[in-house]
Amino acid sequence: MSIVLERLTKKYDGLVVVDQVSLDVADGELFVLLGTSGSGKSTILRLIAGLSRPDGGRILLRGRDVTALPPQQRGTGFVFQNYSIFRHMSVAENIEFGLKIRKTGAAERARRRDELLELVGMAGLGSRYADQLSGGQQQRVALARALAYEPSVLLLDEPFGALDVKTRAQLRRSLKDVQRKLGVTAILVTHDQDEAFELADRIGVLDHGRLLEVGVPEKLYASPRTLFAATFLGAGTVLVGRSRHDQARFGPVVLPIPPDVPHEDGAPVQVLFRPEEVVLSAEAPNDKSIVLGKGTIIEQSFTGALRRVRLRLPRLPATRQIAPPVPFGEEGMLVDAVVPAETRLAHDAWWVSLRGWHILQQPEPHILIFDAGQGSTSTLTLARQIVEQMDASATVLAVAGDQEEVETERAALLSRQHEAGLTRAQLRVRTGNPVEQIAAEQNESLYSLMMLAPRARRAPVDANGYPERKRLRRLNRLGPIVVRVLERASLPVMVVKKERPALKRLLICTAGGEPGKSDVRVGGRLARRLGASVTLLYVAANQMEPSRIVQSHLERAASTLRSIEVPVEVRVRQARTPAKGILAESREGDHDLIVVGSHGPQSRSIFGRDDVTLQVLIGADRPVLVVPAEEG
Amino acid sequence: MSARAPDVQRAAGGAPALLPAGLLVLVLLPLLLLPLAAIFVFAFRGGLGEFWRALSSADAQFALRFSLLIAFATALINAVLGTFAAYVLSKYRFAGREALGIVVNLPVAIPTVVVGTSLLLLWGPIGLLGKLIEPFGLQPMFTPVGVLLAHLFVTFPYMLGVIKPLLDELETTYEEAAYTIGASRWQTFRYVILPALRGGLFTGALLTFAHSLGEFGATVMVSGNLRLRTQTAPLYIFAQFEAGNIANANAVAAVLAVLSFVIFFFLLRFTGRRAPAGGPGV
Repeated sequence: MSIVLERLTKKYDGLVVVDQVSLDVADGELFVLLGTSGSGKSTILRLIAGLSRPDGGRILLRGRDVTALPPQQRGTGFVFQNYSIFRHMSVAENIEFGLKIRKTGAAERARRRDELLELVGMAGLGSRYADQLSGGQQQRVALARALAYEPSVLLLDEPFGALDVKTRAQLRRSLKDVQRKLGVTAILVTHDQDEAFELADRIGVLDHGRLLEVGVPEKLYASPRTLFAATFLGAGTVLVGRSRHDQARFGPVVLPIPPDVPHEDGAPVQVLFRPEEVVLSAEAPNDKSIVLGKGTIIEQSFTGALRRVRLRLPRLPATRQIAPPVPFGEEGMLVDAVVPAETRLAHDAWWVSLRGWHILQQPEPHILIFDAGQGSTSTLTLARQIVEQMDASATVLAVAGDQEEVETERAALLSRQHEAGLTRAQLRVRTGNPVEQIAAEQNESLYSLMMLAPRARRAPVDANGYPERKRLRRLNRLGPIVVRVLERASLPVMVVKKERPALKRLLICTAGGEPGKSDVRVGGRLARRLGASVTLLYVAANQMEPSRIVQSHLERAASTLRSIEVPVEVRVRQARTPAKGILAESREGDHDLIVVGSHGPQSRSIFGRDDVTLQVLIGADRPVLVVPAEEG
Repeated sequence: MSARAPDVQRAAGGAPALLPAGLLVLVLLPLLLLPLAAIFVFAFRGGLGEFWRALSSADAQFALRFSLLIAFATALINAVLGTFAAYVLSKYRFAGREALGIVVNLPVAIPTVVVGTSLLLLWGPIGLLGKLIEPFGLQPMFTPVGVLLAHLFVTFPYMLGVIKPLLDELETTYEEAAYTIGASRWQTFRYVILPALRGGLFTGALLTFAHSLGEFGATVMVSGNLRLRTQTAPLYIFAQFEAGNIANANAVAAVLAVLSFVIFFFLLRFTGRRAPAGGPGV
């Protein structure tokens, strides 16, 4: 192995920018690190070159541990995006600089220089200066300069980023040629997917400092494991459905889940299909085809050999779309397809079916934390515990009133994040109405849980300045955002009313005649990940034994939990109202989290006077997890 | 050139440029041009022999040589100090960097006479520090050392002002490229950074030299104006003028003026040539 990275970690101002990256690059390999700006790809390169010091991990170059060595002793060749040709030196002097430092003889220097000039296609231009060269030529010189002293590895930091398209294409070919000829191991960093595909022996996909996936280009394109890689490498449609008995269900569309994709029954499943896997037909396809439905073409563009088409279809029930992103407020499902350019798309309505698809790996738990930017940081502290216990990733979201406030919000969030020790989390500031922005954020990414704190208004008065009536006042104790977020949420929402040292004892309530299965399943999964125990509670209205239906429901729920190895205890409790029973039980058992169901996003009036969920939320003195009822 | 000629001759509105240009010259004539001409007229009124005699007096000779020596030393020392200050201010991030940046540029804003006074109050016989070193027989004021101190103070910002923008503009990747290639910190400074500053060093040194050559306010305070010991050329001119020896004053003034022209010419040539490559414009 030429380059070995072991759990390489780098932090800037306490924020993790390179997160435990491990990587082996073989001798003579051209490895491409692909990621968006801010993904940490350039930082990794700088760490390898020694231009930046890691906060953790090791770097081995050709078997030598160079982690503690200064850049001068690492023997890397580095090519910068801005060329960085020494302007007062001629091309020849630039190339010879590394040899001169190494006290190589003049004859040998000249030989090597001419060889390299020839190799990079700059023969005869040795006496030129940087200001007499084009950008492409300067980068060729930079490449020759980095190769002159036969470095153990070649590191290229977006080398073609500043060049025009044509020069870029030429240089890519040259680079590949030179790299092959010399057999030098190279890592190239880019955000350009085409560049990665064209150059790479293998690609590593980076997101927020994590190396998500490594593979050969074909494999990464056809069968990515992660949502990020799927959407970053090329176009395609990603839908989220639910797994049921080794099948992925997207409403009526049922796809088998391959045995090598681990999944939990009832958990969300994502499917990817590329535009070329989508089949358009005028007639209804036969029964064996996987039919998504009938759609209309809303957009098409000519790209030479192919015509790209976007269709709008009716939404599949119990299915959410992640890519292509569906505009806020739009109901349908968007599917991208390609057809040969000469195809005439005479009419608008087409049957859309699939000839191929790919089930993505079950995503790691990803937690969305809404932070108001002020007040107690107890939500962030609890989030840190959950993130650590579940090995989850987290995004902290704040919503600023307008663009001008974004930076102050960001700064406030950063210091609060520090205070709570939640350094691994990503930070996101959106602008606009908080409730709408929270909903939009939930739609654009796949979160498994949302956390937020109730925020009371300072003075609970009505529009006329009078103290509000009792019920409204109690609602206000939760704050205006919580209720509306809960009404719209399609994912479990944890309302953190008070910090708990750890979530070790969960109380799952199947009270109030709403024996939802989703709350047991979601609560159970959470308990398993947290290593917590569960008390399954049924609140009876009178002294009588619970009915048989209730008993069998409780039994099934308990065995579901046992099947995923969660310790469970069933409790039946008598109380005047379900909410009173739940609250009493939670206090007596000193539970860390109350899990209750809600009526899901369909109902806009869930919080009526007698709503159990709301009563529990208002009365609880500990975190409450509200699980929406399942769709479809 | 010929293609551009109409642009030069005509203003934007199409009006002939002759009138405004002529007006400008008319205004500048009494302001700048005639006074300069007057020096030479007066210097050579008594003929070349008289000019030469005035110039070769021991006092005039000393004043001119002393001025050149001080200017040379000032330019040399401030080239090093200014580059060092620019490097620190440009390449390092530390608390108080902004404040320090203001402090080092302060001399341009302070009246030179005040500079002289402040030096006297620090190093003079009754000054804050001067009083401490007096018993050891050390007294920088009213000696060439005092003059040098004053000139270093007054001209400090010029070098810095030329070098710092160059360093700011010099991308850190230049240094980093050198490091990865294998160059040590010193080798990087010597082979990569310093050559990139060459033009700036020359420009800054010339500027410093020119300002030192003409320095009056601070010098008059700290030198004591002792002939044949601390009298610089500008002080000599002033002293001779006051004593009524107009011819002596004019001769030295003419030499100073010519020297300034030469330096200015070099500055123009040099910065003009380097401007497209990112050097400072005049």
